[in-house]
Amino acid sequence: MLLLAVVAVATLAANSARQLRFMAVAFFAVALAANLIDDGQLSATQLAVAGVAAFVSATIVYIAARDPRFGEDPGWRLPVATIVAAATTAATFSFLRTAAGEDIRIELLGEDPSGVTTEVAAFWLLSSGIAILLTARGAVRGSLGALLMLTGTQLLVRLVPGPHLALTLLLSWLQVVVALAGAFLILNQRAVREAA
Amino acid sequence: MIAVVILLAVAALAAFAIRKNIALVGLLTAGAFLGAIALVASTPVDDTGELLDLAWRLSPLGRLAALVLLSTLLLLVIAVWIDEPAYNFFPTALAVGAAAMAVLVLTTPIAIYAALLLALLVPVGSFTFQVDRNRSAEAAYRHFSFVALGGCLGITALALAGTLSREQPTNTFVLLVVILVVAFALKLAAIPFHTHAALLATEVPTAALALYFGVLVPTTFIAFAQILTLSGLLPEIVQIGKVQDLLLALGVVSAVGGAFLATGSTELRRVAVYSVISNLGQSLVGIATLSGPGIVGALATAIVSGAAATQQLLAVGTLERRSAGGKPSAAAAPLAALAFVIGGFAMIGAPPLVAFPGHFFVGLIAYSYSGTIGTLLVIATLGVLVAQLRAAMAIFGTAPVRWRVERRPVAGVVGVVVFAALLAGGLQPDGFLQPIADFADEFLRALHPL
Repeated sequence: MLLLAVVAVATLAANSARQLRFMAVAFFAVALAANLIDDGQLSATQLAVAGVAAFVSATIVYIAARDPRFGEDPGWRLPVATIVAAATTAATFSFLRTAAGEDIRIELLGEDPSGVTTEVAAFWLLSSGIAILLTARGAVRGSLGALLMLTGTQLLVRLVPGPHLALTLLLSWLQVVVALAGAFLILNQRAVREAA
Repeated sequence: MIAVVILLAVAALAAFAIRKNIALVGLLTAGAFLGAIALVASTPVDDTGELLDLAWRLSPLGRLAALVLLSTLLLLVIAVWIDEPAYNFFPTALAVGAAAMAVLVLTTPIAIYAALLLALLVPVGSFTFQVDRNRSAEAAYRHFSFVALGGCLGITALALAGTLSREQPTNTFVLLVVILVVAFALKLAAIPFHTHAALLATEVPTAALALYFGVLVPTTFIAFAQILTLSGLLPEIVQIGKVQDLLLALGVVSAVGGAFLATGSTELRRVAVYSVISNLGQSLVGIATLSGPGIVGALATAIVSGAAATQQLLAVGTLERRSAGGKPSAAAAPLAALAFVIGGFAMIGAPPLVAFPGHFFVGLIAYSYSGTIGTLLVIATLGVLVAQLRAAMAIFGTAPVRWRVERRPVAGVVGVVVFAALLAGGLQPDGFLQPIADFADEFLRALHPL
């Protein structure tokens, strides 16, 4: 539950950041906290793979900023994205959990084998990512939105029975490619803006 | 089969390292694709294996699609290598080839989806060029956003479908399947989710456009059909008519809308791109009928449209370059102009090309499903025909004093090779349609499990 709070606060920090470098650091905090949520599904190897991917992705975005001041002012997008994300998370969670019909027990500290914390964190990250991506003006916030969405997706995939390590590896690669494509677009959009 | 994926992935890394040396990187890329084609051709159908508990299988459809897509990539690479040296294209093409192969051989829906997203994101680099002179950066960003959005939504829907118990209220599965369908519509540029494709069509290099519409769009469509089959959601789709209606509506709107947009386009690029979108709409209708002929027709149309799009877009690139900023004309590159026109035959599904059976099956099953839908698909085909005729007339509008084949007629030769392949397939359709029919059997078995 505590890690869920860290995910929420770090997401808000990333969403409200004006500087891309701060966004990258906040994203790393989000990804790290999300991966550390203990639902008994993640092995040490998977945790290492996901952690390294998050670090590499955050580093790529951090380097793409090139100077500490570069970024984008979220303006009205921050409250809109936050409200939409909070409302969507609550609605999605209640819809799907009601359908599952299970008892929910949440503790402040310790593991959560029911997967409730993982699901809430996943829905929060997905809805935050979608809200940020849909309201983004360019690649800076667009990349953040895509990375947050993908982190949420990774959490949900953890709960699916199947080849966990292979899926973690694939999604980690995907996260790095998203960060690379995002960084490439950031550099190009910046070049266009500076040339204008 | 994983050897092919590894071969192409390693070659992509090597090509990235030597990308500035066009002669060497071109040779490496073409060699890697030839090797991959030889490996796929020599691997028996239904070869299976496992990697990190991830099962893979070379199905008959996977083998056919792999051979078609890898050959298309090889032709694209040769065209870029000789005619339009763009150094970032080679590693991109190899990475796309590796990811597309993974899509075709993997058997876990989420893994297929993740590989597809990798394939769709890699070309972002080759979409962007001369960023200070056009809107290619914006086009690439929009593509990135659509893929990220659609991709995450799609994987989420699959993950939830895999974790929730089957005793869910109907609405839950309706929601998940609707999300999955919309996620694919975003990536397939189905109308009304086509705005990124419209921008890409105008702003990005034609070789990158051919990579997208010639290789990635057919791969996405095949992935859609495979994921539907493997996800276990098909029985729910049968029970819920709304999902089938959604797919039909999306297909009809894309088919008719794409045809109208193609008819109204004055740019050759847009004519080719909207013709593909219209054909994909027809393919969606074929899948939505949930019938054997519909599925065979849908996949055949998607694969052939990809080949025709490659043929036409490469020809457009040559015509644009040779016309030096003026109106593209056959006088500047007659063989490329011919390639564009014969590509149009495949786009409309004209016999005796192998494009015909796919269009015929979808049209036939659409009529048996509903007279209105069948009529709309015929209108869509007529629209594409009119668009292609207008484009051909525009290219051949100004006749030169003397017809002379252009210098380095790569696009023209590629066009003739693709046409010959489509003609050979049309004269011997069993070789092309049988693997698709085998997949249709699997699809129908997943639809009505015992």
